[in-house]
Amino acid sequence: MNHLRQSAIIFFLLPCLVFAQGSAGIDIDRIKRATVFIYFAKSVNNDLIVKCVSSGTLISADGLIVTNAHSVLHSRQCDGDQIIVSLNVDLSEQPIPKYRAEVFNADAGLDVAVLRIARELDGRLIAAGELPILPFVEVGSSSEVSIDDNLIFSGYPDFGNGPVATKRGTVTAFIAEPIGRGPAWFKTRAEIPGTMSGGGAYSSAGRLIGIPTNAPLGGLVASASCRFIADTNDDGLVNSSDVCVPTGEFISTVRPIDHSLSLIRGARHNLKVDIVSSPIDVARPLNPPQASRFLFAPSVADGTPSTVVGSMPNNTKSLYLFFDYDNMTADTVYELRVTRDGIPETTFSLPPVRWSGGESGLWYIGSREQSWANGAYEFTLLVNGTSVGSQRIIVGGAAENRPQFSDIVFGTLDQSGALVGNGSILPLGDIASARFLFANMRDGLQWSAIWYYRSVEVARTADVWSDGSRGAKVIRVAPNGGLLPGQYRMELYIEGALSATSDFIVAGRQAGPLPEIFGNIRHTAAGSLSAARLAPVSSTFPSAIPALYAQFDWRQIAAGTPWTLRWLVDDQIFFQSTNPWLTVESGSDFTVTLPDPPDGSYKLQLLVNNLKLAEQEAVVGIGQLPIDRLAQYEGAILSGKVIDAAARRGIPSVTIVLISEVYAASEFEWREDQVFALATTDRNGNFQFARPLAFDTFYSIVIEADGYIPHAADRFRFTIDEPYADIEIVMVRG
Amino acid sequence: MEFDTGRSPAIQITPRQRWSIAITYIVIVCGFALGVNQRDSALNQSSRYSNLEAGIAALYPARWFLEESGSYVFRVRDMAHLGFKTVIEVSTSPVGPDTTERNILDQLSLRRAQVLTDYTVLGYDTYRLADDSAAATMSYSYVSRDTSPFLEGVSSIVNAMDILTIRRGQALIISFRADKSVYQAELETLRWFVQNLEF
Repeated sequence: MNHLRQSAIIFFLLPCLVFAQGSAGIDIDRIKRATVFIYFAKSVNNDLIVKCVSSGTLISADGLIVTNAHSVLHSRQCDGDQIIVSLNVDLSEQPIPKYRAEVFNADAGLDVAVLRIARELDGRLIAAGELPILPFVEVGSSSEVSIDDNLIFSGYPDFGNGPVATKRGTVTAFIAEPIGRGPAWFKTRAEIPGTMSGGGAYSSAGRLIGIPTNAPLGGLVASASCRFIADTNDDGLVNSSDVCVPTGEFISTVRPIDHSLSLIRGARHNLKVDIVSSPIDVARPLNPPQASRFLFAPSVADGTPSTVVGSMPNNTKSLYLFFDYDNMTADTVYELRVTRDGIPETTFSLPPVRWSGGESGLWYIGSREQSWANGAYEFTLLVNGTSVGSQRIIVGGAAENRPQFSDIVFGTLDQSGALVGNGSILPLGDIASARFLFANMRDGLQWSAIWYYRSVEVARTADVWSDGSRGAKVIRVAPNGGLLPGQYRMELYIEGALSATSDFIVAGRQAGPLPEIFGNIRHTAAGSLSAARLAPVSSTFPSAIPALYAQFDWRQIAAGTPWTLRWLVDDQIFFQSTNPWLTVESGSDFTVTLPDPPDGSYKLQLLVNNLKLAEQEAVVGIGQLPIDRLAQYEGAILSGKVIDAAARRGIPSVTIVLISEVYAASEFEWREDQVFALATTDRNGNFQFARPLAFDTFYSIVIEADGYIPHAADRFRFTIDEPYADIEIVMVRG
Repeated sequence: MEFDTGRSPAIQITPRQRWSIAITYIVIVCGFALGVNQRDSALNQSSRYSNLEAGIAALYPARWFLEESGSYVFRVRDMAHLGFKTVIEVSTSPVGPDTTERNILDQLSLRRAQVLTDYTVLGYDTYRLADDSAAATMSYSYVSRDTSPFLEGVSSIVNAMDILTIRRGQALIISFRADKSVYQAELETLRWFVQNLEF
């Protein structure tokens, strides 16, 4: 260290503070740096042909990218096999292809994919820890967004021909669908080009809160949203005979990031769930998607319409369109066009997006806490560009006190005649009961109830109303042969018009408020499935186990019944998958694997209709996830240039050592644990520390280069007002 | 016109002055020697590394950067070097009763071919260790570009050598990598390192 003290310290720190545009808390430059351009290309005869393009956002220093799934998952429209990531090297220039990425996690229906940079551009694997620290943005929560909030959208408005761009726009509406908590979509009037799909939407705090999303229908036909950019048929021409790259129209929908958090969390901790138990092969004909039974409801109760309405009064704030669907897939593109008095109503329309509801079921699209102007509305649903049905509703006029049924819940009756249960799942038995509310009824009205099992009518009651004007009523059904496992539906009619409808599931055996469908969850650690079946069951495991296996038994759950498998680590969801049950009705040893789990507390939960039916926890290692020291998001970006004092030219390949805050330069002993970050100059002498420096923290720098007098600087810091610093370091030969 | 030519009378210096000059020269020479010595001692200083768990102790050049967090026991890099930073890396690998040195070297080659640009094995040889035992070596080369993807990186052709020996049921691998232009000169550092390595 004497050497350092004796050396002349000639260190010029010339902070050139570059403030972000519109510095109201948003660091636009940081957002731009973290925005990437993505090619999804296909290898053909040693050539890469671009099939789809999109924008994406770096969300971690180690190369995790969040983007749209439709542009990186193999499909008929995007049949690529290589994901090329272009980075934003110069904010004023086009992105430069740098790496190849792989899909780590994806949900085709949600249209969200989490990529991991895995290879150099030439295809070489990037060894663990060898990827340079990349700029990234902080992932926020879409729950912090309200109507009329200003958002900033980041992405590439062209085919990689131009620099990254940002757009501003307000949130005009929330669109609700049955895909979890919170809105399924944010609507905006910002003009976001189609190639910005997959980029980022940022709150006023600069956090990533959503993904601008569209689903282009182009790809095989020429249109303004599909461009011919390469000679894909090798005829020496680039023309309409080639396959075009779809871009989609302008984007007006944003997928809230909250729906992607479990995917992101899983990727951050390298957690990938493998469902080992193979389903029974249920080959089904590929019938075209269809939708039916369109109806409106003013609100949603457990995923079903609270009541059915034909009109809505003045000052309507909430309206939902319900419909049944069948033969849908994650590749299906649907669109809802809403008109008011014949004029397109963009606020409540949903542009073409991917289907996220699975193959069949009951769906809704709607909104709440937003004003619906008076008028005659027509809702038209398009699937893959073709209309599959429409429904009209009048909004306006005084509220009608018409007779109605609402809020159906299902259960079984106890000995006192009270309805017990959870409302939507019943155990196997002989009788199912339903309770519903009624209002504005008149004695003498004709009413009826129709019960369906797997879409086939199993019971019908028709009667004259005699229960008064307002209250609650319980009815029941006892089908021949008892209640069989599967999905049931009940419809209530008044004077022949549908007034209320709801669905329920019969599965498992009676065991308190919730039926017992899943049970005997146990965990083992092993290197293979056969070893896992023989391994001792435990709830605690040492660190570094090859895989954590979870097994459970099930009873009386019919094929096709939607169920949810959920994994949590340290009480946060990192995997959730809802699928139809595809194996036998009762059985044991359904197996799920979690390879290479890091230390943490893992919990497996099994749900039906969003009701948690079983869970079991297992602790690995210390029972807590390791801390990611590179997860720090905030801080100053330090860059600069090292130049030769005499020649006034940049010096290449000089390493600048940034010493952590607990050491001074004189205490530096060239040990890794003393170093906060390293940077090496490029051929022009430029350098940049990719890892942000914490604000208001003192750092030191040491530079030693052969042929030059060593440099050191102690105790410099940056404040939150100085997010960027560009310094010049002059080295003197000696 | 006549000119009178002749020598000026010789200047006589006193013994005291003679001693002063001599002492001045001596001081200059001593100062220079001291400076050279200081410089050499600074340059040739060494640091000591020991890892009781791995059973490895070594001397390495002072002011080389010591790292222990990677997939190696430790490595040291000459961060002052302009260009590719010369590195000496020591790692261990478990071996089975049938594992040969060549098996391990080939495994290293297969792995490196996945991640290194233009990775080429140049040849195999033996290396005499400090205890006079022979270790297997593998020489190879590749292209390195070690900088941020956001900057214009400098590519270097790297020459490298693995020295491998199997002791006590594990393989000890000393990997030495240096820029092609300084590889031969830096081999002397490797020799010194290997001579002082205890394992």
